[in-house]
Amino acid sequence: MIMVEIWYGILAFMLTTYVVLDGRNFGAGILHLFVARTPAERRQVIAAVGPLLSWHEVWLVASGGVMFVAFPRLLASGFSGYYLALFLVLWCLLLRGISLEVGGHLNDRMWQSLWDGVFAFSNILLGILFGTALGNVARGVPMNPTGEFHMAFFTNFGVRGDVGLLDWYTVSMGVVCMVMVTAHGATYLTLKTEGPVHDRCSRIARWLWCAVPVFFVLISVESWYVRPALLPEMLGSPLAWVGTLVTLAGAVAVFTGLRHRLEMRTFLGSGAIIVGLLGAGAATIFPVVLYSTLKTEDSMTAYTAASSLKSLELAMIWWPVALVLTFSYFWFIVRQYPGKVKLPRDEEGV
Amino acid sequence: MNSAFGDPAFWHRIQFAFTITYHYLFPQLTMGLAWFLVYWKWKALRTGDERYNRAVRFWAKIFGLNFAVGVVTGIPMEFQFGTNWASFSRYSGGVIGQTLAMEGMFAFFLESAFIGALVWGEKQLGPFKHFLVALGVAVGSWASGYFILVTNSFMQYPVGYEITPEGNLGLTNISEYLLNPWAVVQFAHNQSAAVVTGSFAIAALGAFYTLRRTHLEQASLYLRSGTLVGLIASLLVAFPTGDQQAKMVAHHQPVTLAAMEGRFHGGNMADISVLGEPDVKAQKLDNPIEIPGGLSFLANGTFESSVHGLDEYSQDLWPDNIELLYYSFHLMVTLGTIFIVLMGLATLQRFRGQLETSRWLLWPLMLAFPFPYIANTLGWMTTELGRQPWLIYGLFRTKDGYSHTVSAGDAIFTILGFIGLYFVLGLLFLYLTGREIYHGPEGEHDHG
Repeated sequence: MIMVEIWYGILAFMLTTYVVLDGRNFGAGILHLFVARTPAERRQVIAAVGPLLSWHEVWLVASGGVMFVAFPRLLASGFSGYYLALFLVLWCLLLRGISLEVGGHLNDRMWQSLWDGVFAFSNILLGILFGTALGNVARGVPMNPTGEFHMAFFTNFGVRGDVGLLDWYTVSMGVVCMVMVTAHGATYLTLKTEGPVHDRCSRIARWLWCAVPVFFVLISVESWYVRPALLPEMLGSPLAWVGTLVTLAGAVAVFTGLRHRLEMRTFLGSGAIIVGLLGAGAATIFPVVLYSTLKTEDSMTAYTAASSLKSLELAMIWWPVALVLTFSYFWFIVRQYPGKVKLPRDEEGV
Repeated sequence: MNSAFGDPAFWHRIQFAFTITYHYLFPQLTMGLAWFLVYWKWKALRTGDERYNRAVRFWAKIFGLNFAVGVVTGIPMEFQFGTNWASFSRYSGGVIGQTLAMEGMFAFFLESAFIGALVWGEKQLGPFKHFLVALGVAVGSWASGYFILVTNSFMQYPVGYEITPEGNLGLTNISEYLLNPWAVVQFAHNQSAAVVTGSFAIAALGAFYTLRRTHLEQASLYLRSGTLVGLIASLLVAFPTGDQQAKMVAHHQPVTLAAMEGRFHGGNMADISVLGEPDVKAQKLDNPIEIPGGLSFLANGTFESSVHGLDEYSQDLWPDNIELLYYSFHLMVTLGTIFIVLMGLATLQRFRGQLETSRWLLWPLMLAFPFPYIANTLGWMTTELGRQPWLIYGLFRTKDGYSHTVSAGDAIFTILGFIGLYFVLGLLFLYLTGREIYHGPEGEHDHG
């Protein structure tokens, strides 16, 4: 059974990496309409989001692949249960990818404004949708005894029994996550830009990081009300404690970083907060992956969702190799784009 | 609920078929172009000839556009296994999940890390690193193709698996699974066909510029590279890869071969139909023109040997749309033959030094570029319709695979969504590609 735990850890690691990497792009995408006011500034933000956006997105796709091989029953029940919500996510990802690709192709103000708007819109929606998804994992789904569920967009907005995708808890989780990734994105843009965009982002980051603790306390209390059993489980899980410590260390780094204008420290702290929170969350809910709001016994655990032991062992042969390879590509590319993105002069094009 | 309209299985199939067909229009070009870019980059590195760099710069833009659309239309493919085919995923995830995860981990990471650098990074990287980046993208895109073909080959000819005590599939032998003989043959066939698409596109653009008398230096490079590679790839698609593929089907899926050929009755010395229309109700081929013994020869290597007919199998093993399967296969073969003739003629004229003045040949070369897309699509229709009624041949039926919690209405709704989005996407793609072609490879035009 150790294999199941390792693969659960790998999946949590990959999803967390995705959120840390792409979270900053969501944040930047949400913010760029506000922090970048001229076409040149917009392009500066988009250049800061950078040439690696699709590499970041691959972490989501590859997480889907890993979930497929290691926990096929989780993928099957979860994806088909959230059918329409998932297609909304897919379509937003499509719009986001296209707006970035297409927007830069024409040197025309209106064309660029249109795609900047699409980029911001899809990022806001994605930030909320992913947050709502996280809220759904915490709250649970109306699982039937055969291990399947079908979820409406909303039912009575309550958090128990026959729940829907949206209720007061999952929506507030969506909002909290959006605030978090926006803070993360503002921190990243502060690090990666200079000039007016940098100054605006730096101001926004301060405000957002002040708001984050308030939201965090709010969502913790809500979570405790929605699934009271999670608190003792968290206290009893050593890994959740490690996650909490990482979060705290991140918070200290963000606080001191903002105070002393150490942009790299703030950014790393911001990443650590996300890693710590998601890590603590993953450790707390383990082994339940789909909690049933109807009958707790029907919940799906990592053990019941996993592939055969042999399949998991064979996948263990190639996965670490691929991981080392991908970080080496990342390293190769990141070294080519050091330092801050300057404000492009208008006549240069991008 | 008896009509197709209320049958969820039908709509789930339509959605997957539509989204995968649309998606594959883009990767087949990027896979086909990838090695051209590597080759030109290498030539530029070796000879210092600026023509090759200009060609790479131009085609990298086309490549980038195709790549971007390929990515955004590819992400839904992976997710649809879970959303629309939950029962199938639950049953087979331990096996086919391996290659889908490998595709992400090995191929997508590689391609996505380097694509930006390929399109925009020439100055920043310098010639040698830029060559490496082109190589990385090419390896990544072909690796991606291989993992998908291993997945598909398992569905055609399952190997290396066990049935677990819970009744699902588990992987037992990873090398057997990854080196599935079906996958090796299908990869060779499919990749040659992708190179056909790529070389036809390159040759078509060369013909276009030559006919318009613009960018003549680049046009001549495109014509020369496109037609020679186009001829070699078209030949490879037919022989040995297509031939081996047919033998593989004859051996492991005899019912499929019978349906592809409209062979309703088995027996010795099977004829191959060049023309004809299958009449499934009457179980015969109408108006056939046949080569005696041809099918026996293609399937088994001798004219006298026996080839199975559909009548030897119970009807619940027959592919569920024999007419469409038959026409897809025959039209693919016809197009493949025309490709060989066209590229053969072009290569002949090229070595006679007359290609650039042969307007009668440049026009068809320019107008031929959509047909490899059609032929590739028909090939995949043959593969997928031929496998029916199975999702995994002999193990798991298509009608058992879809998500039972998703209604026909939900599926229709998302199909309509895809149609709308993909229509807009197609317009944008055509507009931007057309713009690049209009500005041409030597323009001063600079964009982001």
